[in-house]
Amino acid sequence: MKTLAKKDINKILSIWSQKHDVLAPTKMDNGDCIFSAFDEKAFTLDYKKPPLSPKSVFFPQSEIIFRVEKNRYNEVVAAKKALIFGLRSCDMMGIRQASSFMSRDNKDIYYQARQNAAATVVMACPKAQNETCFCTTTLSGPVAKKGFDLQLYDIGDTLLVEIGSPRGEELLTGMPLAEMEESQAKQKIDEFLQNAILTIPEVKSVIDAMNKLKDRKIAEKVWDDFGAKCITCGGCAFVCPTCTCFNVYDHQQAAGEGIRLRAWDACLYSGFTREASGHNPRASQASRLKRRHEHKLLDYNNTDIQDGLCGCVGCGRCSDYCPVHIGTLEVVKAITG
Amino acid sequence: MGDHCGNIYQLRPVSIIRALPQIKDHRLFQLKLEDGTTWESFGHQPGQFIEVSIFGKGEAPISISSPPTRSDTLEICVRRTGRVTDALFEMGKGSTFHIRGPYGRGFPVDLLKGKKLLLIAGGLGLAPLRSLLLYSLDKRKDFDDIILMYGTNNPDNVLFKYELLSFFDRDDINYLYSVDRDDEGIWKQYVGVVTGLFDRTDLSPAETYAVMCGPPVMYRFVLQKLLKLGFAKEHIFMSLERMMKCGVGKCGHCAFGDKYCCIEGPVFPYPEIENIKEAI
Repeated sequence: MKTLAKKDINKILSIWSQKHDVLAPTKMDNGDCIFSAFDEKAFTLDYKKPPLSPKSVFFPQSEIIFRVEKNRYNEVVAAKKALIFGLRSCDMMGIRQASSFMSRDNKDIYYQARQNAAATVVMACPKAQNETCFCTTTLSGPVAKKGFDLQLYDIGDTLLVEIGSPRGEELLTGMPLAEMEESQAKQKIDEFLQNAILTIPEVKSVIDAMNKLKDRKIAEKVWDDFGAKCITCGGCAFVCPTCTCFNVYDHQQAAGEGIRLRAWDACLYSGFTREASGHNPRASQASRLKRRHEHKLLDYNNTDIQDGLCGCVGCGRCSDYCPVHIGTLEVVKAITG
Repeated sequence: MGDHCGNIYQLRPVSIIRALPQIKDHRLFQLKLEDGTTWESFGHQPGQFIEVSIFGKGEAPISISSPPTRSDTLEICVRRTGRVTDALFEMGKGSTFHIRGPYGRGFPVDLLKGKKLLLIAGGLGLAPLRSLLLYSLDKRKDFDDIILMYGTNNPDNVLFKYELLSFFDRDDINYLYSVDRDDEGIWKQYVGVVTGLFDRTDLSPAETYAVMCGPPVMYRFVLQKLLKLGFAKEHIFMSLERMMKCGVGKCGHCAFGDKYCCIEGPVFPYPEIENIKEAI
């Protein structure tokens, strides 16, 4: 198996940066670590779960889809060659699920163009990033099964390199590679996996909650209570790697001139389903929370979830960031009460 | 699904042939394609919808009111209710804008051929149902009995009034009209909710397919009535209204349960949605 020396990684990222917009774990002054443009000084391999998944590489928070000039429109498909370095397996699964959805039935060329232009280098997850990680339950970690171009295993001074695609192979051209004997590499990976799994225990209530949802055995009070607490910020949807709902806006800049753009939207907002007549099929916050969680745990599309468990990839960010504690973990706990 | 040239948000320019006032804040727009082709190239089916796209304002889903059998014009019956429709109401003959589509699953015309049809519309629900009504009248020989039940809240709000009046001259369609209230005592037909019309005609539930479009409250009561009369669930079709922003199953606004109304609907056979609490 191919290996890279950890001390070379800065150099390698610099080389990749010549031909790609490289996003890599970057230390902020406040101690947080985010995916940001590769910067040799701020780059780190010692990072915890970034607050946002890299989904915005494919699906920006807002993007121009048409530019209108003299009442004529031109589509704007902007895709730069990108490389996401250091994403974890949960986020890789998020990308796989979202890509499946965006490419199915009617292909979304905006998403696809960005996706085709972006390489992914996964860092296999060495241990739970914090107490909300549950990728072993959602079958999305701690290592990625597929979808990546390269996957790296940090085994000390050395990174084992798993090649996932021809593009991954190409990325390694000219890099200072070494070789590790296959059986030894396999043993190292097994050890890595064992150690990682031990720190990410299975959350049985997720599966129990899915079954209860399937049997329609949930008291409406569960949703009513969450509905009363929710402050409708939409943050859970924005940090979620598999949430891809959007709204479309027009900005008129002059007569016959302007842009049409699309931007992240969230099913938690009351206007999300409101119809022209004023009728709203999801009129209460309780019904909107129910929808969000049922979409992840019950009404997901079987093709889109790939080899994962459901429409949730177990990254735990909704539980990390919801100001009033309505993440997937809190919801499944309430459901299984 | 039309000519998208790879981009599912691709637009086609259209212009207004005529804008006909209907009732207060409702107007029928007759459209033609700016590229000079007939609507045959559009390939729409009764019950499908389009996105009306007006630069600077946005897009709105609007059902198609005319049948594919009339390919010289596409008709949309629009209620003035927001930014896009406000802009549309400012337009007149010759004005141009864009559309996308046709979108969604329409009425199951092939299945309905040779069958007795019961069409039930409430309010603006007649707009999409009219595409099937006119289709079945244009291909009258393809269908058995046709019954139309149409209810509005009062006599002022009857859409397509002259067209509906013209059915009085035909003996190949059975029409029943209702209004919820008639404060001025001018309504010659039935006064009461649309379900009251069921007592005023003979139906043969075993051979009839019921197709409905109207407000959610109408669905609940009409469904009860149909099931009580012995209609098979498989013979009941309903067109659902949702906020269909993208029309191509991506933006998520119209989703309920495991369905995306804009691609799997808006017309659903009842068995597909009967267990989804939020559907109706």
